[in-house]
Amino acid sequence: MSEKDQYKNRIELLQGTLDMLILQTLQWGPQHGYGIVQALRLQSGNVLQVETGSLYPALHRLERQGWVQSEWKQSESKQRARYYRITARGKKQLASDLGRWERIVEAIGSVMYVKPKESES
Amino acid sequence: MKWLPSFGFRRRKRELQEELDAHLQMAIADRVARGETAEAARTAATREFGNIPLVQDVTRQMWGQGWLEHLGRDVRYALRQLRKSPGFTITATAMLAVAICANSTVFSWIDGTMLRPIPGARDMGDLVSLQRGERNFSPTPPFSYLDYRDLREQNHSFAGLLAYHNDWIALTGGAQPEPVYIANVSANYFDVLGIKPLLGRFFMPGEEARAIPNVVLSYSLWKTRYGKDPAIVGKSIEVARHPVTVIGVAPEGFIGAAPGLRDDLWVTLNPLGTDVWRMTHRNADWLIVIGRLRPGVSRGQAAQNLNTLMHHIVAAYPDQHLGDNRITLDPMSRSPFGVNGYMAATLPILLAFAGVVLLLTSANVATLTLVRFVSRRRELAIRQSLGANRIQLVRQMVMEGALLSIVAGAVALLLTSWTSKTFAWFFPANSIPLILNGSMDLKVVIGIAIISMLAAMLCGALPAWRSSQAPAAEVLKAESASISGGSRNRKLLSGLVVAQIALSLPLLICSGLFLRTLRNLATANPGFDQNHILTASVGLNIAGYSNGEAQLIRHKILDRVSALPGVKVATLTDWIPMTLIQKRCDAYPEGYVPHPHESLLVEDAEVGPRYFESLHIPILEGREFTLNDNEKAPRVIIVDQTAARRYWPGQDPLGKRLRVSGSLFTVVGVARNSTHTFVNESPEPMVYMSIFQHPGNETIVQVKTDGNPVDLAPAVENAIHEIDPRLPVFDVRPMRESTQMASSFAVIESTLAGMFALIGLVLAVTGIYGVVAYRTQLRTHEIGVRMALGASRIDVFRLVLSQGLWLTGIGLALGLAVALGLTRFIDRLLYGIGANDPITIVSVVILLGAMSLLACYLPAHRAMRRNPVTAIREL
Repeated sequence: MSEKDQYKNRIELLQGTLDMLILQTLQWGPQHGYGIVQALRLQSGNVLQVETGSLYPALHRLERQGWVQSEWKQSESKQRARYYRITARGKKQLASDLGRWERIVEAIGSVMYVKPKESES
Repeated sequence: MKWLPSFGFRRRKRELQEELDAHLQMAIADRVARGETAEAARTAATREFGNIPLVQDVTRQMWGQGWLEHLGRDVRYALRQLRKSPGFTITATAMLAVAICANSTVFSWIDGTMLRPIPGARDMGDLVSLQRGERNFSPTPPFSYLDYRDLREQNHSFAGLLAYHNDWIALTGGAQPEPVYIANVSANYFDVLGIKPLLGRFFMPGEEARAIPNVVLSYSLWKTRYGKDPAIVGKSIEVARHPVTVIGVAPEGFIGAAPGLRDDLWVTLNPLGTDVWRMTHRNADWLIVIGRLRPGVSRGQAAQNLNTLMHHIVAAYPDQHLGDNRITLDPMSRSPFGVNGYMAATLPILLAFAGVVLLLTSANVATLTLVRFVSRRRELAIRQSLGANRIQLVRQMVMEGALLSIVAGAVALLLTSWTSKTFAWFFPANSIPLILNGSMDLKVVIGIAIISMLAAMLCGALPAWRSSQAPAAEVLKAESASISGGSRNRKLLSGLVVAQIALSLPLLICSGLFLRTLRNLATANPGFDQNHILTASVGLNIAGYSNGEAQLIRHKILDRVSALPGVKVATLTDWIPMTLIQKRCDAYPEGYVPHPHESLLVEDAEVGPRYFESLHIPILEGREFTLNDNEKAPRVIIVDQTAARRYWPGQDPLGKRLRVSGSLFTVVGVARNSTHTFVNESPEPMVYMSIFQHPGNETIVQVKTDGNPVDLAPAVENAIHEIDPRLPVFDVRPMRESTQMASSFAVIESTLAGMFALIGLVLAVTGIYGVVAYRTQLRTHEIGVRMALGASRIDVFRLVLSQGLWLTGIGLALGLAVALGLTRFIDRLLYGIGANDPITIVSVVILLGAMSLLACYLPAHRAMRRNPVTAIREL
């Protein structure tokens, strides 16, 4: 299987989650791609390392769906970069993603931590 | 794709580049800030970032425009690959173009004839042709006017039923009378067909049966004879020396309701009031009827409806409806009236041949393509391991095939615009107003496009898919060229070669059968001697003479022409055999009781004295006609052997009597059978009547000479014009030329089948040569090793040769099986030869086998001559 297919599969696997993480990061203000990677890494305690091959397709897809907007700005270090900003529709999406996520976590949790039932015999 | 307005697309591409660049710069800057050296930071950041073009690629896919870009890239890549091997590109394109052209040419002929039987008519699919009684090639008009009118008024299946009758007539009034083809039509004729007048109007319902001398001109007649006179409507012109009024002009392209025949003008059924008899008698069958089905009514239902009505008519008038009265309906594409009956027998088979040629060519191009892909497998493997996925590779390879096919289709389109016009070449000069040509309309263009797509699939996709299946790592590991793309490709290659031989064998056999049929037809004895005979049509019946005047002129013509120097025998007739023209009439032998539905139609000809002498047709019993068999003498008739055996088996036919169109004729002679229309026809009964007792519709002067009949033509024309300079004389030509019409379809079949088979032979032989040569080249190293280890040259020769011969043998066996199964489809087109004629089959197998042997011999010979030392070095 080629490298490209691997990327594609990962995107599909993470799609909902990665979108949610990006939107969550943008809640604190506009950010560029590199900034998003750094923020996710720091906030996850170095656990989440988002690859560029997943991040940029996701950003461009979010923009196409109207959940983020982008503009070119100077960074603090005078580097011209493309900043993404969450839109009102993006915030609504984030809320619904979050709700779904919580339900999934709860559901998985209740499966994983279920106490063995007493034998009924 | 440079021509697209991809301004925004390019800008976005640049921005993406910049965005990723900024990402990388920031990552480097961060690492430097943490104290790494610039060099180390760059390396680490780049590694962390990953494959930049790939990230760009997957990101761009999110834009939803990726496929367009991919397509553009694939096209450019394919063009580059094709440019790299011009030999392959040109060969493959040329072969495909020829094969596509073969198909589209035959299809354009079908389209121009069978699929467009009535140019200009609306909703052709609803039109059906009515036939009453016996079904045969070119039947006589089957309906009387009164029967037609009853059917038209009482049926509930048709939106309209039209009727017409074709005839020659002379346009007089000019300097020279001009024979034109005229149609007597029912008043609803144009209406049922859905034709609107270009000028003026068409006929009104009230005019149909009344003697109103109105005429509608065809566009071409209006253009050629009247110079597109815009004020022609209302003017009077002269037809057969009667003044008639032009009431309208038909639109351009409309040539009448008989498929393949051209009408010049149209009049109502009895415009001069001179045809009262045929308007009022139910046994006067002179109309051809076409119906337009009501929406939702099937052909079968309509036929049932008509047969019920016909049954009532027959019950009411039994004496006028002897013989077979069943009505059958045909779609116009197979209408027995006009030329489509002949077309339907020939063209679809030729289209099938062309289809085989296309398959063969596709197999050949697929072979070449596969060989190319196999030799490019290193490149493909490298690209695959650099991240190209298989779908992508296959798409690019298919694109090469698609490009080839598109270019070939375009070339074929150009070629076909010319070849579609060549159809008319196959028909010799004749006296039928034939309009036969291929057409290049949208249907043909779409057909070419579909054929090209099929070819692209066959010769691009198949090899691409197979060659992409080789695992990249295996190919890259294998250093030696001796693995010829894996055994799977080898099998596919062999399969393609076998297919080519198996397909070309039936083509060759069929063309062999057709060619021998043509030779048999040419050498067949038609039962009459057509050498040294000149015929000339005299427009006596069409120029408006009375019967008495016409008979007088006929006598004068005979006298004058007989007296010409060089003339051995001069006679008259109203029919020339083997010209596709057939005349029939009902003949009732006295005392003969026909079975229900038995056809009493016989073929007939009205001939002058010494007719049989001029054609060397022996009179077996009795005598031939003399000048004394005229209107004052008792009616006499000569029958042929078939008629004599049918009506009076085991009896002496002389003195027996036959009723033809109301009069009793006494048999005075029996003529030997001779060919009427086709050499391979099943003989139909034929009767001959004296032209001075029962004048036919045509008057043809028939002259036997010693020398070249063409030399006599001016003298004969002069002699006739001396009698009356206004007499139109036309179709003056040797009989041998006229009778070629009978074999024109055999000529078409054998010419095209021969061309197709030649293409097939070349393709099959080059195919097997290419594959054997290619595989031998791949095995050069191995052959070198074998020779170094002691194999003799003969061993090598045998090795290579046996490989090719195996393929040939399998191909021939398969092809033979296919051919034996298929030749019966052409059986009825053959003459004097069986569909499984062993001589033809054996000689074709030997020919194909010998050519294949030669094709294998060349590479085998080359391999044998190689120096083993250089062969081993070659990888």
